[in-house]
Amino acid sequence: MTPDIPAILKLLASAGVEFVLVGGVAGIAHGSSLSTRDIDVVYRRTPDNIRRLAEALKPYHPYLRGAPAGLPFQWDATTVERGLNFTLDTDLGPIDLLGEILGGGLYEDIRPSSDLSQTFGVTCRVLDLPTLIRVKRAAGRPKDFEGIAILEALLEERQATELKRPDPVRSDDDSTT
Amino acid sequence: MKNLPPLVPDPVIEAYKKDVDRTLLRENLKLPMEERLTRMYKFMREMDSFRGSARRSPGR
Repeated sequence: MTPDIPAILKLLASAGVEFVLVGGVAGIAHGSSLSTRDIDVVYRRTPDNIRRLAEALKPYHPYLRGAPAGLPFQWDATTVERGLNFTLDTDLGPIDLLGEILGGGLYEDIRPSSDLSQTFGVTCRVLDLPTLIRVKRAAGRPKDFEGIAILEALLEERQATELKRPDPVRSDDDSTT
Repeated sequence: MKNLPPLVPDPVIEAYKKDVDRTLLRENLKLPMEERLTRMYKFMREMDSFRGSARRSPGR
């Protein structure tokens, strides 16, 4: 099932959950052409934020992805507090909730390397492109090599575009002469 | 995580980079973020639909 990206972002942001969008969807947000099967977010591990996160997702029946049906898995703040990273299937599609990521750390560590973005009527944090590349490199998974190459090419293209862009100050000066 | 040293080129990634379709990336960069996410979301939904149709086809 494809993650309902607009619905998930709206749900988390409107519930006041503090999170940073990472992984494949963050790559797409930056312009990557590689599709993904889930949405990854790094959430802040404070009691209030965990409570907001647990309550926001509860109506969408989170369950451990790939686990056999019928396990006594209870989705609540206590479960989130006792764990760290959760790969979940929900009615909105697969969601990976990460308390910490390799090469990035906790929410507090990566927050300064994220940008606030307005999308689908809400504001959410997206990991910036250079940090996304570092995190993917740190994971060292062969399945990520193509994705990393795309992200690095994107960074190069973006930098090339910025270099070509005329200096706005100089443009203003030119218009007055 | 700010003020980290610049990324050192990785030969494996550089090899993959040669096959990246940069025209597609340039087109994506012209779009706002919401449009990028919406397009990819719709594409993935269509792919799900195709997969479902293929699974249900009598030839399988």
